[in-house]
Amino acid sequence: MAYSDKVLDHYSNPRNVGSMDKNSNEVGTGLVGAPECGDVMKLQIKVNPQTHIIEDAKFKTFGCGSAIASSSLATEWVKGKTVDEALQIKNTEIVKELALPPVKIHCSVLAEDAIRAAIGDWKKKQAVTEPVAVAAK
Amino acid sequence: MSSNFSNPTLAVVADRENDACWSCGDMRAAQFCKSCGKVQPARPADFFAFFGLPKKLNLDVAKLEREFYLLSRKLHPDVYAQAREEEREWSLEQSSRLNDAYRTLKDPIKRTQYLLHLEGIELEEQSKNATEKARATGEIKKQVVPPELLEEVFELNMQLEEARMNKKAGENDASLVTEIQKQKQNLEIKLEELSSELSGYWNDWDAALDADSETARIQARDKMVDLLNRRNYIRNLVRDVNEVLES
Repeated sequence: MAYSDKVLDHYSNPRNVGSMDKNSNEVGTGLVGAPECGDVMKLQIKVNPQTHIIEDAKFKTFGCGSAIASSSLATEWVKGKTVDEALQIKNTEIVKELALPPVKIHCSVLAEDAIRAAIGDWKKKQAVTEPVAVAAK
Repeated sequence: MSSNFSNPTLAVVADRENDACWSCGDMRAAQFCKSCGKVQPARPADFFAFFGLPKKLNLDVAKLEREFYLLSRKLHPDVYAQAREEEREWSLEQSSRLNDAYRTLKDPIKRTQYLLHLEGIELEEQSKNATEKARATGEIKKQVVPPELLEEVFELNMQLEEARMNKKAGENDASLVTEIQKQKQNLEIKLEELSSELSGYWNDWDAALDADSETARIQARDKMVDLLNRRNYIRNLVRDVNEVLES
């Protein structure tokens, strides 16, 4: 199967690879997997406690080129967005941007899952420290 | 019977859904007519039905193999070298179906996957639907495998990557290699445990069929889905670990 240029670009030059301190209160970690193919993806976000803007994002993915490209793109997209804005990202937008073929759509699903899981983890941490803010959300 | 051969529309009339032999009109078996032995066009039957088997997961693989060789010989192109064009085509069609059916059913995992597929289970579809539901409700999608397994898979992948990088740099971290070898043994034990777990669910499934219990059938089915999901990760890890250790 031929990869699109954008997939190849993210694959050979992935953005934001790495990890952050998962114990930090400002960091949300999402670890998700695609059982169909056995890929695993970890995506982390660092959220500004005042503005709720995602200031940094890192990922590490073990999987095929499309999975790596999807998560690389996801980190690019969430950076600078507020948490609520980032929750609006849909896997179909990733499919479109990377021109993923139907057999690789699950990679984009995985990336969306990872974003949501990271945000969910961050929210859980906020619930412990600021229960009022989350109840209002 | 010879009068049938003179009928030019016969091939068109040979109805794949029909149970009657195109040649003698008697009831036909899956591949050959029981009465006159003529090869039949492939029916849209599943692989279990192709071998005349119930949709059960415990099956006699030795018997299946004997049946496979027997049918292979009977469907061999040489047998049909002088036959009508339709019969040649049908024998080829049946041959290729025979190969697919045998390859699928003889392998325990493929057999299970195939059965789940017949039951309408598409893993990818399930995952996508769960994501869409999570998006709509704002909930976090429940991962289909336990988080501990994902952690484990991730950690081992990190170690494998380190080992690959060491190798590339010409370094040899003996303790890392030992650790990976230990992990490999763990994974192999896990695969064996999964196999015996799976055969338990096979028994559940077969018993549910015998008892005609829809509830028990669905329970066994869902347990098998869950198990195969976990197994995919382990299988990949075993593959990657072997690759690192052998390179």
